[in-house]
Amino acid sequence: MVDPPYLTETETIWLLDIPSVSVSEDSEDAETVKERNNAYTELCKNRQGNDKYVERSMQTFNGALKTKEVECDSIAMVDKAAMSTIWDMYDSFSNKSDASGNTVVSDQGNKADVPDSSSSMRDLNPKSPEQSMFSGSSTQLEKMACVLLVEEEPDHELILQSDKLKQDLAVMERVILANIFQPKLAAYRQLPVIEDCVQMAMGSKNSPSPFLEHLWAFECELTKGRNVTSMTWNKKNPDLLAVGYGQLDFKDHQSGLVCCWSLKNPMWPDRIFHCESGVTALDFSACNANQLAVGMYDGTIAIYDVQAKEQTPIIDSSDCANMHMCPVWQLRWIDHESGLAGEDKGEILISVSADGRICKYLMKLKTPNMTTNRQQWNSTISPLSPGLCFDFHSNDSNIYLAGTDDGYIHKCSYLYDDEFLETYKAHKGPVYKVTWSPFCPDVFLSCSSDWTIQLWRQDLQKPVLCFTSGQKAVYDIMWSPHCATVFGAVSEGKVEIWDLRISSLEPAIVSVTCPGVNPTALLFTSETDCVLVGDSEGKVTVYKLKNLTDGGSTQVETLEDVIQSTLSGQH
Amino acid sequence: MSEVDNILERIQRYPGVIGYIIFSKEGIPIRSTLDSAMTVKYVGLLHQLSMTTRSTVRDIDPQNDLTFLRIRTQKREIMVTADKEYQMIVIQKTTG
Repeated sequence: MVDPPYLTETETIWLLDIPSVSVSEDSEDAETVKERNNAYTELCKNRQGNDKYVERSMQTFNGALKTKEVECDSIAMVDKAAMSTIWDMYDSFSNKSDASGNTVVSDQGNKADVPDSSSSMRDLNPKSPEQSMFSGSSTQLEKMACVLLVEEEPDHELILQSDKLKQDLAVMERVILANIFQPKLAAYRQLPVIEDCVQMAMGSKNSPSPFLEHLWAFECELTKGRNVTSMTWNKKNPDLLAVGYGQLDFKDHQSGLVCCWSLKNPMWPDRIFHCESGVTALDFSACNANQLAVGMYDGTIAIYDVQAKEQTPIIDSSDCANMHMCPVWQLRWIDHESGLAGEDKGEILISVSADGRICKYLMKLKTPNMTTNRQQWNSTISPLSPGLCFDFHSNDSNIYLAGTDDGYIHKCSYLYDDEFLETYKAHKGPVYKVTWSPFCPDVFLSCSSDWTIQLWRQDLQKPVLCFTSGQKAVYDIMWSPHCATVFGAVSEGKVEIWDLRISSLEPAIVSVTCPGVNPTALLFTSETDCVLVGDSEGKVTVYKLKNLTDGGSTQVETLEDVIQSTLSGQH
Repeated sequence: MSEVDNILERIQRYPGVIGYIIFSKEGIPIRSTLDSAMTVKYVGLLHQLSMTTRSTVRDIDPQNDLTFLRIRTQKREIMVTADKEYQMIVIQKTTG
């Protein structure tokens, strides 16, 4: 490292001094100079005929002239240029090696090289071009160039395998897709969208009735032909969606697949996990947002770490005692603040399976092979009927509802194993889904294969409202997270959105799918007004709810009014 | 390696993508899906442009560095990832 240079001032060196022959009139000497000038003119006038002055002449010799020649080597002129940019100086100082000088030089050399290399692809001749800027360092360039030639081939392979390239490719892929999907994603995020000209022509009637606008579909060749069984959003990153593919019946055994899709890439999932048997249930953990619990058709529950790229789950329930033998129909991570005896604090995983049991799992991170401490309670909901769904109350996490294959919905308590608190009997077929309303704490909804959706209040034995439309089994329902009176339902061949403000006899929006394709799963988004529908062909389509009256608030009062009016109408 | 190949293949198939070029820092193309005349043209011009852009960015703040360069034109969008060892160009058609 060179010592910083010191700058000092030397004494003034006089090189040339020609005094002036004229004096300005304003200067101090002007008077004396004028006097002397006058005296001199007087003197010249007096010279003629004056005895004081005598004229004399002299002769001088002129020397002989001789030419002399001198010859010397031509002085080589060199152009010297240096680039001084801020970053160049920064780089040189931070390198701290004597190669720093060389790197500056080679940068210059390469800059000169580039226009040459662009004209010849493979036959690059990086030996110093004749118009090198530094003549002294051309040998240096040659050395570096020779080294470059040797290392060319391995470098390319290294580049293609580097991690940085993978990262850059991922970024590039997302940028390209953002270009392609930009209007759809903008519509998803509820940004103002310029209406397509085509749509303007078509929709000039501008129907005020609500409808579903198709935005895009998540699908790729991997998922074609697979049946979507469950979908869930990541709790921490609302752009991440996990979709499980598997079978719902005993026939057509497929190997299962879990894909984590990101909204930024609707054409290829970010993570793909292959499972041995069909996936039937999924849930993301809220505490560790990268843990995804997967329940499968053969009863195994596996937990995957979505951040890592490995295919294997971090825990598997296959070495648990008393694991489920039948398909796991639903999984949920529940946060129990009020736990029993301290060991239940924190998040636990609860599953319901077709063998009639609801089990809870605790994760204990002791060693790389995590052990799951499994306890079962509620030893059988009912010994003969498989459990199909459950839902914990959002306010009181000790109460939960469980739906069974024989049409009963049981309200049970986490703390009290032996008996049910209540049983609601109204469905004539297996209850596929129960959900508490996210706004009204007493209200829940259930759907079943008996073509009906029932709205219940938890203190009433009979359902308050019954919704039917069509004669097909209803597979999935979900309350809208924005509006208390809106919920969505999925049945064979149709997707329905019901709005209780408009009507309780028929759905507000009915969207019929292509023949042969059955929608099997439904998911609302918590941030925007979109709904996702998974179907039996492996597509997850994103629809935007259009023209559904917003109302502003969550319409809790409206829902309660509707219930009150129905009840008072019944009695 | 095959993962990289998969992604490159997918990128090539997306709607609107005309092609991609990966080239090293000396300006030698490593992979390209365009014909050699176009490749040479793009590499030569965009290499200089990205060097100039990088120089500009670093002049403003030497601790900063260029990561991505996007040029949107009437017909095409040219996207360049800038790295020290290599650079990658993807050309896509602009819609609307």
